[in-house]
This record gives sequence, structure tokens and C-alpha cells, in this order.
Amino acid sequence: MNFLSDWSTWFPTLLDGLSLSLQITAISLIAGLPIGLLLALMASSRLQVVRVTSVALVEIGRGAPTLVVLQLFYFGLPSAGITLSSFVAACVALALTTAAYTSEILRAGLQAVPSGETEACQTLGVSPLDTLRFVILPQGLRIALPALMGFAIIIFQATSLCFTIAVPELLSQAYSIGSSTFNYLSVLALAGLMYAVITIPASWLVGGMEKKMSRHLAHVH
Amino acid sequence: MAVSTLPKQMVSLRGVSKSYGDKVVFRSVDLDVAAGEVTAMIGPSGAGKSTLLRCINMLEHPDAGEITIGGKTIAAGKSTSLKEIEALRRKAGMVFQHFNLFPHMSVLQNVSFAQQRVLKRSKAEADKRSRALLDRVGLADFADSYPARCSGGQQQRIAIARALAMDPEVMLFDEPTSALDPEVGLEVLAVMKELAKEGMTMIVVTHEMAFARDVSDRLVVMADGAIIEQGDPHKIMSDPEHPRTKLFLRAVVGR
Amino acid sequence: MEHLQAVILGVPLTLLITFSSLLIGAVGGVPLVLGLRSRQIVLQVICRTLVDLLRGIPAVVWLFVIYFGVSIGAFQFEATTAAIVGLGLVSAAYMAEIYRGGISAVHSGQWEAGSALGVGRWATFSRIIGPQAFRVSVPSMTSYGISLIKDSSLASTIGVTEIVFLTTQDARSNAGGLTVYIIAALVYLALSIPLALLARRVDSVLRKKVSR
Repeated sequence: MNFLSDWSTWFPTLLDGLSLSLQITAISLIAGLPIGLLLALMASSRLQVVRVTSVALVEIGRGAPTLVVLQLFYFGLPSAGITLSSFVAACVALALTTAAYTSEILRAGLQAVPSGETEACQTLGVSPLDTLRFVILPQGLRIALPALMGFAIIIFQATSLCFTIAVPELLSQAYSIGSSTFNYLSVLALAGLMYAVITIPASWLVGGMEKKMSRHLAHVH
Repeated sequence: MAVSTLPKQMVSLRGVSKSYGDKVVFRSVDLDVAAGEVTAMIGPSGAGKSTLLRCINMLEHPDAGEITIGGKTIAAGKSTSLKEIEALRRKAGMVFQHFNLFPHMSVLQNVSFAQQRVLKRSKAEADKRSRALLDRVGLADFADSYPARCSGGQQQRIAIARALAMDPEVMLFDEPTSALDPEVGLEVLAVMKELAKEGMTMIVVTHEMAFARDVSDRLVVMADGAIIEQGDPHKIMSDPEHPRTKLFLRAVVGR
Repeated sequence: MEHLQAVILGVPLTLLITFSSLLIGAVGGVPLVLGLRSRQIVLQVICRTLVDLLRGIPAVVWLFVIYFGVSIGAFQFEATTAAIVGLGLVSAAYMAEIYRGGISAVHSGQWEAGSALGVGRWATFSRIIGPQAFRVSVPSMTSYGISLIKDSSLASTIGVTEIVFLTTQDARSNAGGLTVYIIAALVYLALSIPLALLARRVDSVLRKKVSR
């Protein structure tokens, strides 16, 4: 059980890395979701310019590999005179990725609210803004919640790419231990398990929510 | 048919037409509904009944014609502001086939929501009115439940209370019992009968022939995009003039 | 322009990694999904654990494990092979889930019809359920394939000279700066669009053949 003593030596360092991974995940989601919602609302605007802008931003954000986006903000921006710390660059890049992906999820959620809900509001004389705020958004967000949770898992996994821009998150801690001890397999296994301990239960939760949601929707509509 | 301009007309349609692309739903329809009158609209599916009803409160925008509710007129074709449309809608309450309740709000909130946001009633005021209306439709005990916990018949009665809460001058019913089991539909029809007795102006698109015959003051038969016959329900049901009406009645009553 | 040249040299390796790991995934997903649906609990648990771990641990960690971690005697994976094996394994797990979704989307009446006609469980699966499930799975498979083009960029982290590797190199040595990254993003877009169009084509052909 030699590896167990190795693991207990490395664990605190890796835990620091994991905590950084989780921080980046949280910041990306908190900053990215409102932008995603804005893009989703823009996508159903009456003005074509607004719609096209939204679609273009979303498609570029989803079309480029996350690695490219990360490196663009860290290595590319200085040539335009903007230098970000690796942590800030990571948060900005992943927040924008979050915005692009969640805008599609949110748009689908808002569209899944039956049109009868809007019609009911119209006949009651409720203004379009109030309809959105009190009737469509609460229901659309609830419908989108499992998919948003699923995306949160993906963005948490994507934080592992931040080691390429020198953010000392979980994978880079594991890698640096590996390169000093040459015991790559053991330390990477531990790091992998630490990712899995979070993502696997989270995906069970998402699966459960999806089931509950489909039952709920079937019952109401 | 003589054009009536008596002030007691609650709803009048003049030359209202609607088509989707090439498909004409109905062409140049005139209809007058007096205050306190209950009008039932029947006819084969695809005749345009629901679309006509939805044109009355501008859920569908007619291509031509004029719509007047309680003295407020909107003419199709001219650009109309949302404000004007909202003013027209304010006068009409609507009940849908699929209820369209707000599933994320409690029953009480469903009825109070628009009162607070649109009529600017205080929460206490709105809730008081909502509870009175829920009591009237027999659902006082359900105020704090959620719609998903209620049966279809209960949901439809909540929807009626929600529409009544806005103090409409006319109530529009779009096949209110079509999504319900026949027995459950009866509780909804009972509420509607009660409402009719109290003098509410009502336009009801329905397949319930007994309701059309016994409760409505006037029967309107629509087929192939036009009103083909209207008048006393008993007379039309027992002795229809139009061959299309005969065909339709034989199909629904004779089974 | 010289930036575009630098980036575009990576396209062949990007495509090689994408298609090879997609193929491994599409084939490897079959035994995994059979295991997931097996009646033998042990097999089921093993496959479930495998699929959950492959999907739950970031793909880049798997690449590191295979590239840095695996050494059998003097043998070590060469970088491109490691990338293909790693992404192939992860793809197999995702494909297994896609197949599973496809199988459960086939109406249970089809199983009942199979057994009512006296067709065995395996024959029902391979001749009746399988083809329909495959048809349902195609859209998810193609969209996974498109996302795999982007995921193949992970190979750059272990030194495979595909698009992102060359991009970074160019950015550092030739002061490509912002431009070269934007070019790289556009190249990825240009690679995904034909695949997306092809996917739509395949889907509509299949839809006509097996109309559900």
C-alpha cells in the first residue's frame, strides 16, 4: 500500500488545486449565465441585427475549442495591449464559453414554455416585460435547470485546461508533482478520482432531475 | 341582417376576415352580441370558430374588419398600438381549452397575479377578491395548492376565476370542456351556467350540444369560413334551415 | 497570411485524431452498451463504472495518464497514438450512452412484438431494435463527432503538432498574437461546417429509409 502514503502526502496540494478549479467554475458560471441569458433573449429579438449578432457570437463561442479561447485571452491579448493574469484570463475565457453554450440551453428552455402561457398573459393584459419576468423566465429556467447543471459539470472539467495558461489548478498541481517524482500514473490517478468524485454524483443528480422534470412537464401540460 | 347600432351591443364584429397565406379561415364575418347575452358557437372542426373567437381579443390579428368590445373599437389593417390592443383585451376575459394556468404559481397567485400587475391592486386586495372568486367556483380550499395538484375540471374553474378577477365585460370561452372527461366537464359547465344566470355576456365556442341548446340565448353555426345560420338555439337544433347545419347536427346529435 | 499557413499545417493531424478516435468510439461503444444492458450484474457494474469514470474524468487527464503514466517495460505510447487511444476511449463511453439512449427510445412494443413472434432476445435486438436505435442515435453521434474536432485540440497538451500546437508555437515565436488565435478559431469553424452539413444530409437520408 505504498501508493496510499504517496497519496496522503500529495492530497493537500491537490486539494488546493481542486479548490482553485471549483472557484474558476463558480466565477465562470456566475459571470457567464447572465450574458448567456442576454444572448438568448437577443436571439428572439424582433430586430434582425440583434438576432444575427447573437447567433454569430454564440456560434463563434461554441465553434472554437476551449483551449484556443483560453490561450487567446492569455497569450493573444497582450499583443493588443491588454495583459490579464492567468487566473483572470481563465475566468474571462470560461465565462464567455459559458455564455455561448448556456444561451442555447436557455433559449431552448424559454421556447419550451407553452405558447398558451403567453396568450393567457395577453388576455389578462399583462405587459410583455412582466410576462417575461414573472411567467416565462421562471418556467423556462426551471426547464433549463438540468441542462444547465450538466453544463456546469462540463465547465468544471474544462477548468483542467487552464494548466496550459499556468493556472495552478488540480491538473497542473498533479502534473508538477508527477514531473518531480516521476510517479505520473499514481498522482494522475488520484487527481482523476478527485474530478470523478465531484462529476459522477453530480451527473446522477442531473439524471434524477431530468427524470423528475419530464414527469412534471408531462403532468402539467 | 340589419346592422344594429344600439348602445347595449357588447361585442360587434364588422366584416372580419382572416387567412393564413392562401388558406382563408373566414371571410367578412359580422356578429353582434348584446350585453348579458350568451352566444354559443358551434360547427365542424376547421370551420374557424376558435380563430374567430381569438380575433375578438386580438390574440390573432384579423386581416380586415372592425372589432368593438364595450364601445372600444379596433380596425384591422391600421397600425394599432399595443396600448390600444391591451385596452380592448382588458374588456374581455378568456378561458382556453388547455386552461393555460401558470404552473409555477399557487392557485391563489394564479388569480391574483394580473390583478396586482395590471390593475395595481394591493396584494391584500387582490387576494381577497381571488378568494371570493375561488369560493364562487367551489375551490376555496385549493387556494394554496399548485395547479398540477388539481384535476382538469378544477384547473379550468381556476382559469375562469382568473379571468373573472380582471372584471371583464365579456367572457370568451374557447372549447372549455374539450380537454376534459365528460363527467369532469360537467363541473365546469355548471360554473358557466351560474355565470350566465348572473347576466355575464358570454361567447362560447363549444361541442357541448346540451349546453348550446339549454343555456345559450343564441346559437351561431359556423362552417366553411362563414356564419351560415344563427338564432334561437331550440329552433335551429330542431329545425335547421341550412343543409350544412343539418349535416353537422345529424353527425353530433344523432350518435 | 503566413500565420494561416502555419496553422493549416496542423489540419491533417487534427483530422486524423478526430476520425480515428471517433471510429474507436463508435466500435468500442457497442460492447460497452451491451454490458450496460447485460443481465449479469457484475458485467453491468463494471461497464457502468468504466463509462462513468471515462466521462467523469476530464479527457485531458486521460491523455496524461496514457502518455505520461503508462509505461510497460520500455514501451511508451507515442504522443499521437496516446491522443487517439485516450480520446477513443472517452468517445466509446459517450457513444455507449448515446446508443443506450437510442435503444430506450425504441418503443417497448417492438420488444414485445419480437417475443410474441417467437424471435429470440438476441435476434430481436440485432435485427429489430438495433437498426432502429442506430437511426435514432445518428444525430447525437454526428454532433458528438463535431465536438470531437474541437476536443482533438487536447492532443496539443502532450505535444502532438496539430492545429492548436502550431498556433501556440506561432503565437510565441512569430509574435502572431491575437490574429493567429482568431485564425485558428476560424479554421476549426471551417472544419466543422462541412461535417455539420454532411450530418444533416446523412440524417435526412436515414430518415427517409427508416421513417419512424
